Amino acid sequence: MGQTVTSSLQSGAKAPKTIAMKENTEHQALADWLQAVANERSKAAFTHLFKFFAPKIQRIAASKYGNETLASEVVQETMSNVWRKAHLFNPDKGSPTTWVYTVMRNVSFDLLRKIKTKKEDNLSDDFWPLVESSEAEDADSQFQDHLASKEVMRCIDTLPEEQKCVVKGFYFMEMSQEQLAQHLGIPLGTVKSRLRLALAKLKQQIGGEK
Amino acid sequence: MISCHPTQEMLEKFANGELPATLAAAVSIHAEMCSECKAQIAAYTEQQAESGFNGVSSHASSANVNDEDVFAGIDIDDLIAAITATDEIDIALEDKEKTITVKGKEYVLPRALTNMTMSNWSSIGKLARSRVELGEGEIRASLLQIQPGGSVPEHTHKGFELTLLLDGSFEDDMGVYGPGDFIVLDGKHTHNPVSHEGCLCYTVSNDAQHFTQGINKLLNPFGSFIY
Ligand SMILES: [Zn+2]
Repeated sequence: MGQTVTSSLQSGAKAPKTIAMKENTEHQALADWLQAVANERSKAAFTHLFKFFAPKIQRIAASKYGNETLASEVVQETMSNVWRKAHLFNPDKGSPTTWVYTVMRNVSFDLLRKIKTKKEDNLSDDFWPLVESSEAEDADSQFQDHLASKEVMRCIDTLPEEQKCVVKGFYFMEMSQEQLAQHLGIPLGTVKSRLRLALAKLKQQIGGEK
Repeated sequence: MISCHPTQEMLEKFANGELPATLAAAVSIHAEMCSECKAQIAAYTEQQAESGFNGVSSHASSANVNDEDVFAGIDIDDLIAAITATDEIDIALEDKEKTITVKGKEYVLPRALTNMTMSNWSSIGKLARSRVELGEGEIRASLLQIQPGGSVPEHTHKGFELTLLLDGSFEDDMGVYGPGDFIVLDGKHTHNPVSHEGCLCYTVSNDAQHFTQGINKLLNPFGSFIY
Protein backbone atom coordinates (compact mmCIF):
# COMPACT_ATOMS: atom_id res chain seq x y z
CA MET A 1 0.00 0.00 0.00
CA GLY A 2 2.78 2.42 0.97
CA GLN A 3 4.58 1.65 -2.28
CA THR A 4 1.75 2.61 -4.58
CA VAL A 5 1.44 5.98 -2.98
CA THR A 6 5.17 6.65 -2.96
CA SER A 7 5.46 5.89 -6.65
CA SER A 8 2.45 8.03 -7.50
CA LEU A 9 3.97 10.86 -5.50
CA GLN A 10 7.20 10.52 -7.40
CA SER A 11 5.59 10.42 -10.80
CA GLY A 12 3.71 13.58 -9.83
CA ALA A 13 6.92 15.49 -9.31
CA LYS A 14 8.40 15.85 -12.77
CA ALA A 15 11.46 17.78 -11.71
CA PRO A 16 14.23 18.06 -14.28
CA LYS A 17 17.69 18.37 -12.74
CA THR A 18 18.03 22.10 -13.33
CA ILE A 19 14.86 22.86 -11.44
CA ALA A 20 15.83 20.51 -8.63
CA MET A 21 19.12 22.37 -8.27
CA LYS A 22 17.40 25.70 -8.31
CA GLU A 23 15.06 24.46 -5.59
CA ASN A 24 17.96 23.34 -3.46
CA THR A 25 19.59 26.75 -3.49
CA GLU A 26 16.20 28.33 -2.97
CA HIS A 27 15.51 26.06 0.00
CA GLN A 28 18.91 26.93 1.44
CA ALA A 29 18.21 30.65 1.17
CA LEU A 30 14.76 30.25 2.75
CA ALA A 31 16.19 28.15 5.57
CA ASP A 32 18.90 30.75 6.20
CA TRP A 33 16.32 33.52 6.37
CA LEU A 34 14.18 31.55 8.80
CA GLN A 35 17.19 31.04 11.03
CA ALA A 36 18.12 34.71 10.81
CA VAL A 37 14.61 35.56 11.94
CA ALA A 38 14.85 33.03 14.77
CA ASN A 39 18.31 33.92 16.01
CA GLU A 40 18.68 37.59 15.22
CA ARG A 41 15.06 38.71 14.82
CA SER A 42 16.23 39.99 11.43
CA LYS A 43 13.60 42.16 9.76
CA ALA A 44 15.56 42.11 6.52
CA ALA A 45 15.43 38.31 6.42
CA PHE A 46 11.74 38.43 7.27
CA THR A 47 11.13 40.82 4.40
CA HIS A 48 12.71 38.29 2.02
CA LEU A 49 10.50 35.54 3.42
CA PHE A 50 7.45 37.75 3.15
CA LYS A 51 8.13 38.57 -0.47
CA PHE A 52 8.64 34.92 -1.32
CA PHE A 53 5.72 33.40 0.57
CA ALA A 54 3.00 36.04 0.95
CA PRO A 55 1.93 36.24 -2.72
CA LYS A 56 1.92 32.45 -3.01
CA ILE A 57 -0.13 32.05 0.15
CA GLN A 58 -2.55 34.71 -1.10
CA ARG A 59 -3.00 32.81 -4.37
CA ILE A 60 -3.29 29.36 -2.78
CA ALA A 61 -5.83 30.54 -0.19
CA ALA A 62 -7.83 32.63 -2.66
CA SER A 63 -8.22 29.72 -5.06
CA LYS A 64 -9.01 27.28 -2.25
CA TYR A 65 -11.60 29.43 -0.46
CA GLY A 66 -12.71 31.69 -3.32
CA ASN A 67 -12.43 34.74 -1.11
CA GLU A 68 -9.70 37.39 -1.37
CA THR A 69 -10.41 38.94 2.03
CA LEU A 70 -10.14 35.61 3.80
CA ALA A 71 -6.99 34.91 1.80
CA SER A 72 -5.45 38.18 3.04
CA GLU A 73 -6.25 37.17 6.57
CA VAL A 74 -4.54 33.83 6.01
CA VAL A 75 -1.47 35.68 4.68
CA GLN A 76 -1.34 38.03 7.65
CA GLU A 77 -1.80 35.30 10.26
CA THR A 78 0.61 32.89 8.58
CA MET A 79 3.36 35.47 8.22
CA SER A 80 2.86 36.64 11.83
CA ASN A 81 3.28 33.06 12.96
CA VAL A 82 6.40 32.69 10.84
CA TRP A 83 7.78 35.75 12.66
CA ARG A 84 6.85 34.44 16.10
CA LYS A 85 7.61 30.73 15.59
CA ALA A 86 10.66 30.73 13.33
CA HIS A 87 12.73 29.22 16.16
CA LEU A 88 10.56 26.08 15.92
CA PHE A 89 11.73 25.42 12.37
CA ASN A 90 14.24 22.59 12.33
CA PRO A 91 16.10 22.21 8.99
CA ASP A 92 16.98 18.59 9.87
CA LYS A 93 13.31 17.65 9.99
CA GLY A 94 12.08 19.08 6.69
CA SER A 95 12.22 21.80 4.09
CA PRO A 96 11.40 25.45 4.85
CA THR A 97 8.56 25.40 2.31
CA THR A 98 6.94 22.40 4.00
CA TRP A 99 7.27 24.12 7.37
CA VAL A 100 5.64 27.34 6.17
CA TYR A 101 2.96 25.26 4.47
CA THR A 102 2.13 23.58 7.79
CA VAL A 103 1.95 26.98 9.50
CA MET A 104 -0.46 28.13 6.76
CA ARG A 105 -2.50 24.94 7.01
CA ASN A 106 -2.87 25.35 10.79
CA VAL A 107 -3.80 29.03 10.52
CA SER A 108 -6.38 28.29 7.81
CA PHE A 109 -7.92 25.47 9.81
CA ASP A 110 -8.42 27.68 12.88
CA LEU A 111 -9.74 30.60 10.80
CA LEU A 112 -12.26 28.46 8.92
CA ARG A 113 -13.38 26.75 12.09
CA LYS A 114 -13.96 30.15 13.65
CA ILE A 115 -16.12 31.16 10.70
CA LYS A 116 -18.06 27.90 10.43
CA THR A 117 -18.63 27.01 14.09
CA LYS A 118 -17.94 30.32 15.87
CA LYS A 119 -15.41 28.43 17.99
CA GLU A 120 -12.12 30.11 18.76
CA ASP A 121 -10.53 27.06 20.31
CA ASN A 122 -7.50 27.07 17.96
CA LEU A 123 -7.14 23.31 17.94
CA SER A 124 -4.73 23.12 15.02
CA ASP A 125 -1.56 23.02 17.08
CA ASP A 126 -3.00 20.06 18.99
CA PHE A 127 -3.78 18.19 15.78
CA TRP A 128 -0.60 19.11 13.91
CA PRO A 129 2.03 20.00 16.50
CA LEU A 130 4.77 22.21 15.09
CA VAL A 131 7.13 20.54 17.53
CA GLU A 132 7.10 16.76 17.80
CA SER A 133 5.41 15.58 20.96
CA SER A 134 8.41 13.53 22.06
CA GLU A 135 10.38 16.76 22.03
CA ALA A 136 7.79 18.69 23.94
CA GLU A 137 7.52 15.96 26.54
CA ASP A 138 8.91 17.06 29.84
CA ALA A 139 11.06 19.63 28.13
CA ASP A 140 10.94 21.65 31.29
CA SER A 141 12.00 19.01 33.77
CA GLN A 142 14.63 17.62 31.42
CA PHE A 143 16.04 21.08 31.17
CA GLN A 144 16.33 21.29 34.94
CA ASP A 145 17.83 17.81 35.29
CA HIS A 146 20.39 18.22 32.59
CA LEU A 147 21.29 21.78 33.24
CA ALA A 148 24.86 21.06 34.21
CA SER A 149 25.40 18.13 31.89
CA LYS A 150 27.74 17.96 28.96
CA GLU A 151 24.81 17.62 26.60
CA VAL A 152 23.50 21.01 27.58
CA MET A 153 26.92 22.55 27.25
CA ARG A 154 27.15 21.16 23.74
CA CYS A 155 23.78 22.68 22.89
CA ILE A 156 24.70 26.00 24.41
CA ASP A 157 27.81 26.07 22.29
CA THR A 158 25.69 25.87 19.15
CA LEU A 159 23.80 29.04 20.08
CA PRO A 160 24.63 32.30 18.33
CA GLU A 161 27.40 34.14 20.20
CA GLU A 162 25.20 36.86 21.69
CA GLN A 163 22.67 34.34 23.09
CA LYS A 164 25.51 32.19 24.44
CA CYS A 165 26.87 35.12 26.48
CA VAL A 166 23.53 35.81 28.07
CA VAL A 167 22.82 32.18 28.92
CA LYS A 168 26.26 31.57 30.39
CA GLY A 169 26.15 34.80 32.35
CA PHE A 170 22.69 34.15 33.68
CA TYR A 171 22.94 30.45 34.53
CA PHE A 172 26.59 29.84 35.23
CA MET A 173 27.83 33.14 36.59
CA GLU A 174 24.53 33.81 38.32
CA MET A 175 24.34 37.39 37.15
CA SER A 176 20.97 39.11 37.21
CA GLN A 177 19.42 40.23 33.95
CA GLU A 178 20.07 43.83 34.98
CA GLN A 179 23.73 43.10 35.67
CA LEU A 180 24.05 41.37 32.33
CA ALA A 181 22.53 44.33 30.52
CA GLN A 182 25.02 46.62 32.19
CA HIS A 183 27.94 44.27 31.70
CA LEU A 184 27.23 43.73 27.99
CA GLY A 185 26.15 47.31 27.38
CA ILE A 186 22.77 46.36 25.89
CA PRO A 187 19.20 47.24 26.89
CA LEU A 188 17.48 45.08 29.49
CA GLY A 189 14.78 44.18 26.97
CA THR A 190 17.41 42.77 24.66
CA VAL A 191 18.85 40.60 27.44
CA LYS A 192 15.36 39.30 28.14
CA SER A 193 14.53 38.51 24.54
CA ARG A 194 17.92 36.85 23.91
CA LEU A 195 17.44 34.71 26.97
CA ARG A 196 13.95 33.77 25.86
CA LEU A 197 15.14 32.82 22.38
CA ALA A 198 18.06 30.83 23.72
CA LEU A 199 15.86 28.91 26.15
CA ALA A 200 13.28 28.09 23.50
CA LYS A 201 16.06 26.79 21.32
CA LEU A 202 17.70 24.77 24.06
CA LYS A 203 14.44 23.22 25.13
CA GLN A 204 13.77 22.16 21.60
CA GLN A 205 17.23 20.68 21.12
CA ILE A 206 17.40 18.95 24.46
CA GLY A 207 13.89 17.58 24.03
CA GLY A 208 14.96 16.28 20.62
CA GLU A 209 17.74 14.15 22.07
CA LYS A 210 15.31 11.85 23.73
CA MET B 1 -0.46 -4.35 16.11
CA ILE B 2 -2.87 -1.88 14.57
CA SER B 3 -4.99 -3.47 11.87
CA CYS B 4 -7.45 -0.71 10.89
CA HIS B 5 -6.21 2.55 9.42
CA PRO B 6 -7.77 5.68 7.93
CA THR B 7 -8.13 5.60 4.14
CA GLN B 8 -5.53 7.32 1.97
CA GLU B 9 -8.15 9.90 1.06
CA MET B 10 -8.69 10.70 4.71
CA LEU B 11 -4.95 10.97 5.39
CA GLU B 12 -4.56 13.35 2.45
CA LYS B 13 -7.47 15.51 3.58
CA PHE B 14 -6.02 15.57 7.07
CA ALA B 15 -2.66 16.70 5.72
CA ASN B 16 -4.44 19.50 3.84
CA GLY B 17 -6.44 20.58 6.88
CA GLU B 18 -9.70 19.74 5.13
CA LEU B 19 -11.34 17.43 7.67
CA PRO B 20 -13.79 18.71 10.29
CA ALA B 21 -12.27 18.91 13.78
CA THR B 22 -14.13 15.79 14.95
CA LEU B 23 -12.39 13.66 12.30
CA ALA B 24 -9.10 15.56 12.27
CA ALA B 25 -8.77 14.75 15.97
CA ALA B 26 -9.26 11.05 15.24
CA VAL B 27 -6.67 10.96 12.46
CA SER B 28 -4.24 12.95 14.60
CA ILE B 29 -4.61 10.49 17.49
CA HIS B 30 -4.21 7.51 15.18
CA ALA B 31 -1.09 8.99 13.57
CA GLU B 32 0.50 9.44 16.99
CA MET B 33 0.10 5.69 17.47
CA CYS B 34 0.84 4.55 13.89
CA SER B 35 4.18 5.42 12.31
CA GLU B 36 3.03 4.17 8.90
CA CYS B 37 0.16 6.64 8.66
CA LYS B 38 2.29 9.36 10.19
CA ALA B 39 4.85 8.92 7.41
CA GLN B 40 2.10 8.92 4.80
CA ILE B 41 0.71 12.20 6.18
CA ALA B 42 4.19 13.71 6.09
CA ALA B 43 4.49 12.67 2.43
CA TYR B 44 1.14 14.25 1.52
CA THR B 45 2.06 17.42 3.40
CA GLU B 46 5.35 17.68 1.55
CA GLN B 47 3.65 17.03 -1.75
CA GLN B 48 1.14 19.81 -1.07
CA ALA B 49 3.85 22.23 -0.02
CA GLU B 50 5.86 21.41 -3.13
CA SER B 51 3.00 21.97 -5.52
CA GLY B 52 1.83 25.06 -3.66
CA PHE B 53 5.12 26.88 -3.18
CA ASN B 54 7.80 25.37 -5.37
CA GLY B 55 5.51 24.47 -8.25
CA VAL B 56 4.76 28.14 -8.71
CA SER B 57 8.32 29.33 -8.39
CA SER B 58 9.62 26.83 -10.95
CA HIS B 59 8.12 28.99 -13.66
CA ALA B 60 10.41 31.73 -12.51
CA SER B 61 9.68 34.62 -14.82
CA SER B 62 5.89 34.48 -14.98
CA ALA B 63 5.65 33.75 -11.25
CA ASN B 64 7.67 36.81 -10.34
CA VAL B 65 5.38 39.06 -12.32
CA ASN B 66 2.38 37.45 -10.67
CA ASP B 67 3.94 37.73 -7.23
CA GLU B 68 4.13 41.48 -7.60
CA ASP B 69 0.66 41.71 -9.08
CA VAL B 70 -0.88 39.92 -6.13
CA PHE B 71 -0.03 42.82 -3.84
CA ALA B 72 -0.47 45.63 -6.33
CA GLY B 73 -1.78 48.68 -4.47
CA ILE B 74 -0.95 47.23 -1.05
CA ASP B 75 1.90 48.64 0.99
CA ILE B 76 3.92 45.53 1.79
CA ASP B 77 6.31 47.48 3.99
CA ASP B 78 3.42 48.49 6.24
CA LEU B 79 2.31 44.87 6.58
CA ILE B 80 5.83 43.75 7.39
CA ALA B 81 6.32 46.58 9.90
CA ALA B 82 3.06 45.67 11.64
CA ILE B 83 4.04 42.03 11.96
CA THR B 84 7.60 42.66 13.12
CA ALA B 85 6.60 45.39 15.58
CA THR B 86 6.38 42.79 18.34
CA ASP B 87 9.39 41.01 19.70
CA GLU B 88 7.29 38.30 21.31
CA ILE B 89 7.91 34.72 20.30
CA ASP B 90 5.71 31.69 20.79
CA ILE B 91 7.37 29.24 23.12
CA ALA B 92 6.45 25.71 22.18
CA LEU B 93 3.56 24.62 24.34
CA GLU B 94 4.68 22.96 27.50
CA ASP B 95 3.72 19.39 27.90
CA LYS B 96 0.38 19.50 29.64
CA GLU B 97 -0.66 15.93 30.01
CA LYS B 98 -4.30 15.64 30.93
CA THR B 99 -5.87 12.64 32.53
CA ILE B 100 -9.50 11.73 32.99
CA THR B 101 -11.02 9.27 35.39
CA VAL B 102 -14.08 7.30 34.33
CA LYS B 103 -15.69 4.88 36.74
CA GLY B 104 -12.53 4.71 38.79
CA LYS B 105 -10.18 4.08 35.86
CA GLU B 106 -7.65 6.71 34.90
CA TYR B 107 -6.68 7.43 31.28
CA VAL B 108 -4.16 9.84 29.78
CA LEU B 109 -5.91 11.83 27.06
CA PRO B 110 -4.28 12.00 23.63
CA ARG B 111 -2.84 15.44 22.89
CA ALA B 112 -5.49 16.14 20.23
CA LEU B 113 -8.20 16.03 22.91
CA THR B 114 -6.50 18.00 25.67
CA ASN B 115 -8.13 21.35 24.88
CA MET B 116 -11.63 20.13 24.12
CA THR B 117 -14.71 20.74 26.20
CA MET B 118 -16.44 17.55 27.31
CA SER B 119 -19.83 17.05 28.83
CA ASN B 120 -20.37 15.21 32.09
CA TRP B 121 -20.33 11.44 31.87
CA SER B 122 -23.63 9.65 31.69
CA SER B 123 -23.98 5.91 31.86
CA ILE B 124 -26.24 2.97 31.17
CA GLY B 125 -25.16 -0.39 32.53
CA LYS B 126 -21.55 -1.01 31.59
CA LEU B 127 -21.39 1.88 29.14
CA ALA B 128 -20.41 5.45 29.94
CA ARG B 129 -20.32 8.30 27.49
CA SER B 130 -19.19 11.92 27.41
CA ARG B 131 -19.89 14.24 24.49
CA VAL B 132 -17.01 16.18 23.02
CA GLU B 133 -18.34 19.66 22.26
CA LEU B 134 -16.97 20.64 18.87
CA GLY B 135 -20.00 22.44 17.46
CA GLU B 136 -20.02 20.70 14.09
CA GLY B 137 -23.75 20.13 13.93
CA GLU B 138 -24.73 16.67 12.83
CA ILE B 139 -21.21 15.33 13.14
CA ARG B 140 -20.87 14.42 16.78
CA ALA B 141 -17.92 13.14 18.74
CA SER B 142 -17.93 11.31 22.06
CA LEU B 143 -15.75 9.37 24.41
CA LEU B 144 -17.20 5.96 25.13
CA GLN B 145 -16.11 3.63 27.88
CA ILE B 146 -17.12 -0.01 27.93
CA GLN B 147 -16.44 -1.67 31.26
CA PRO B 148 -15.11 -5.23 31.39
CA GLY B 149 -17.69 -7.65 30.09
CA GLY B 150 -19.81 -4.88 28.59
CA SER B 151 -21.12 -4.64 25.05
CA VAL B 152 -22.89 -2.30 22.67
CA PRO B 153 -26.22 -3.76 21.50
CA GLU B 154 -26.40 -4.52 17.79
CA HIS B 155 -27.04 -1.34 15.89
CA THR B 156 -26.76 0.19 12.47
CA HIS B 157 -26.22 3.70 11.20
CA LYS B 158 -27.45 5.54 8.18
CA GLY B 159 -24.34 7.69 8.00
CA PHE B 160 -20.90 6.67 9.10
CA GLU B 161 -19.64 5.66 12.46
CA LEU B 162 -15.99 5.95 13.40
CA THR B 163 -14.60 4.18 16.43
CA LEU B 164 -11.02 4.86 17.44
CA LEU B 165 -9.84 2.61 20.19
CA LEU B 166 -7.77 4.56 22.71
CA ASP B 167 -7.26 2.00 25.43
CA GLY B 168 -8.12 -1.65 26.06
CA SER B 169 -9.74 -3.86 23.42
CA PHE B 170 -13.06 -5.01 22.01
CA GLU B 171 -14.22 -7.50 19.45
CA ASP B 172 -17.08 -7.92 17.04
CA ASP B 173 -17.90 -10.51 14.39
CA MET B 174 -15.19 -9.04 12.15
CA GLY B 175 -12.27 -9.22 14.53
CA VAL B 176 -10.48 -8.15 17.69
CA TYR B 177 -9.35 -4.56 17.98
CA GLY B 178 -6.69 -2.88 20.09
CA PRO B 179 -5.38 0.63 20.83
CA GLY B 180 -4.98 2.73 17.69
CA ASP B 181 -7.44 0.77 15.57
CA PHE B 182 -9.46 3.16 13.41
CA ILE B 183 -12.72 1.45 12.54
CA VAL B 184 -15.12 3.07 10.10
CA LEU B 185 -18.54 1.55 9.46
CA ASP B 186 -21.22 2.83 7.13
CA GLY B 187 -24.92 2.09 7.02
CA LYS B 188 -24.35 -1.27 5.37
CA HIS B 189 -22.81 -2.78 8.46
CA THR B 190 -24.26 -3.79 11.74
CA HIS B 191 -22.05 -4.79 14.60
CA ASN B 192 -22.15 -5.76 18.20
CA PRO B 193 -18.88 -4.89 19.93
CA VAL B 194 -18.08 -6.75 23.12
CA SER B 195 -15.24 -5.81 25.46
CA HIS B 196 -13.93 -8.48 27.80
CA GLU B 197 -11.21 -6.39 29.44
CA GLY B 198 -12.94 -3.02 29.04
CA CYS B 199 -11.98 -0.16 26.73
CA LEU B 200 -12.10 3.56 26.02
CA CYS B 201 -12.99 4.78 22.51
CA TYR B 202 -13.25 8.07 20.69
CA THR B 203 -16.27 7.92 18.41
CA VAL B 204 -17.60 10.12 15.63
CA SER B 205 -20.90 9.75 13.85
CA ASN B 206 -23.03 11.85 11.50
CA ASP B 207 -26.34 10.30 12.20
CA ALA B 208 -28.63 13.26 12.74
CA GLN B 209 -31.08 12.17 10.07
CA HIS B 210 -31.47 8.73 11.58
CA PHE B 211 -32.22 9.92 15.07
CA THR B 212 -34.46 12.83 14.27
CA GLN B 213 -36.98 10.42 12.79
CA GLY B 214 -39.04 9.59 15.82
CA ILE B 215 -39.76 5.96 15.14
CA ASN B 216 -36.10 5.04 14.68
CA LYS B 217 -35.28 6.87 17.83
CA LEU B 218 -37.71 4.66 19.68
CA LEU B 219 -36.39 1.55 18.01
CA ASN B 220 -32.78 2.39 18.61
CA PRO B 221 -32.36 4.21 21.91
CA PHE B 222 -28.93 2.77 22.52
CA GLY B 223 -27.58 4.20 19.30
CA SER B 224 -28.59 7.73 20.15
CA PHE B 225 -27.15 7.36 23.60
CA ILE B 226 -23.82 6.09 22.43
CA TYR B 227 -23.00 7.88 19.21
ZN1 LIG C 1 -2.33 3.77 10.46
